Amino acid sequence: MNKSVDFSQPQRQSLPGILVMFANSLQKTVRALWPMLLIWLVKFDSLNKLVFFGSVAGVVLIIAIISYLQYLFFTFYIDEENGEFVIQKGVLNKTRITIQLHKIQQVNINQSLIQRLVGVHKLEIDTAGSDKKEASISAISHELATILKERLINHSQLELTENAEKNVEEITPTSFIKIGLPSLIKIGFTSNYIKSFALIFLFFTTIVENLQQLNAEVIDEDQVTNYLDTLPIYTSIFIVIGFFITLILLVNLVRTILKYFDFTIQKSKQAIILSYGLLSTKNTLLNPNKVQKIKVTQNYFQKKLDVTTIGIHQASSDAEKVKEKDQIEVPGCNENERDAILKLLLGQLPQKRTMYLPNWRKLAVNTFFFLLVPIAITLFLNHKTEFVTWNDWFMYTAIFSVFAGVMLWFSFKNYKLFVSNDFIIKQNGAWDIDTTIIEPYKIQAIETQQFFWQKATNIGSVTLSTAGGTVSFTTGNYTEIKQLVNYWLYQVETWEKGWM
Amino acid sequence: MNEFNNNPIDITQLPKFEEVQLNGLNPKYITVLLFNFSLLLILVIGGFSALFYFNQDAFSNTIWMAILVGLVLILVGLVVFTKFSFKKKGYTFREHDAIYKSGLISETTTIIPFNRVQHVALHQGFISRKLGLASIELFTAGGSSSDLEIPGLLLADAQIIKNLVSQKINPPKQDDPIEVAPTETPLSEEHE
Repeated sequence: MNKSVDFSQPQRQSLPGILVMFANSLQKTVRALWPMLLIWLVKFDSLNKLVFFGSVAGVVLIIAIISYLQYLFFTFYIDEENGEFVIQKGVLNKTRITIQLHKIQQVNINQSLIQRLVGVHKLEIDTAGSDKKEASISAISHELATILKERLINHSQLELTENAEKNVEEITPTSFIKIGLPSLIKIGFTSNYIKSFALIFLFFTTIVENLQQLNAEVIDEDQVTNYLDTLPIYTSIFIVIGFFITLILLVNLVRTILKYFDFTIQKSKQAIILSYGLLSTKNTLLNPNKVQKIKVTQNYFQKKLDVTTIGIHQASSDAEKVKEKDQIEVPGCNENERDAILKLLLGQLPQKRTMYLPNWRKLAVNTFFFLLVPIAITLFLNHKTEFVTWNDWFMYTAIFSVFAGVMLWFSFKNYKLFVSNDFIIKQNGAWDIDTTIIEPYKIQAIETQQFFWQKATNIGSVTLSTAGGTVSFTTGNYTEIKQLVNYWLYQVETWEKGWM
Repeated sequence: MNEFNNNPIDITQLPKFEEVQLNGLNPKYITVLLFNFSLLLILVIGGFSALFYFNQDAFSNTIWMAILVGLVLILVGLVVFTKFSFKKKGYTFREHDAIYKSGLISETTTIIPFNRVQHVALHQGFISRKLGLASIELFTAGGSSSDLEIPGLLLADAQIIKNLVSQKINPPKQDDPIEVAPTETPLSEEHE
């Protein structure tokens, strides 16, 4: 390897990097303007072609010039005297990022799709102060990136000789778990229905709104309604429902694959590195000590297909707003991989030991609020307005009652708390069953709560706060809860090491 | 390893948080509570008075009477509620944690171990300052949901408590003078 590269002089990124910046800017512009573009495409025939292509070419040209200027003004170098790595960038607003070499924790080299096409790499620098602006160089040749990484890490090594071993380890992280396409497809088909539905809903409403504003008659609404009217009512209902289900599944699948493609977990001595993404590769550093709460989610289909999703909540450096970076999801791992990840994060597999169940009154209260109250409200409204015939009302109410009843029963059945010496595990959920795992010594505060009418029946709730979120268990035996609280307090207060 | 013990723990023998005698808040704190309520009530009464003054025909006389009776009932209810809920509030400091209990309808007990407290703050609102009261707030890393505020303390007591907790967080060591991070004292901070 050519080690004589002089990093003390300001360097530019590699020339093909312009293409990367161009593609990024273009992507951002298209994303910002897509409703307009869509309408233009729809009304393509009625547009003045010259104006259309002229404006598109103009925008592309401007982006190209900006990209070139960005490339021109982006330089980086190592300031040997002060022991700093310096990045200077910005066309109009100049930014200068300086990172003290000894604070560098990790140097990552990744590639997104565009970067792969152009043949450049991205170099990212993680520092100790996590809330600081992260430094990255978005286009650098692999050879140069490797040398620079070595340089940066060697420098931090000089400062902290006792950590030398760690850094050597860091250079060659061992691949630990790789989540393949089949698992992602399984997850894509079995989760996030509501999220995707919301997304599709938003998508359609945006389009419809934009079209209405322009008075464009693209889809003749009457035609669609007329067509559906000609069919028997059940067939048209099935067509509409089938269309939406297919759309949701497709959107789900595409979203999952785009986001989590090539999900890799690498383990180095100090930290765990997660990298994923098809169009843009994301890289996250995970410190097992910072992990406060782990949530394992699985529904019935996923159980049959042997896939789970693991959510990892880290302590936030900023308590007020939880950063996205601190909440990581590992999609689609099978049972062995799940156990391996839990072992990696917790040091051992969580044991369940003693089980605590909620009082039957929890089911009664939930049934009252989520089944009886809604029925009473619709009964009252229908009585006033005669919105639907009473036969229809009975049919809808029966369907709702069965659905809600099943959901309520399962959410009660699945509501459990497990306590062992080293773990607190709470399970809940009707369809998606969440298993939340926390370690007692990571508890920050405990809150017990009891309504005055619960005193006679000795029922109460407890909420455990950690730096990564809360866990609560409601409508349990209050004597048992108080005993547990005393035990957890004892554990927290006799714990000598830090919680993070 | 010197004197390593690993005896099994009998959970029933652990100190019980629910059996600790709690200290009540300073009786003057009722004034603060009532003052906060009265601000709201004055707004409501003011609104109705203005309506009565300018447009007496808005409601019939019986409805006006009902509103008057309703307001008086709410006032009495608030005073009674405040008195009772005040009696329910209590705090105590154990060797290793702080306990605060409150709530008339829903009784809530919050416990924060000292080794999880990040910093302590002492607040004094406008009325509290006039009455010589202060409140203590303990902050943890668990976000705003797990912070604990104990109101209605005498200023002198609050200062003692603040120093006590500060000492628990940063125990002074003899041989290495660690930089004791000064805990914030926003004495002038308005917080009601």
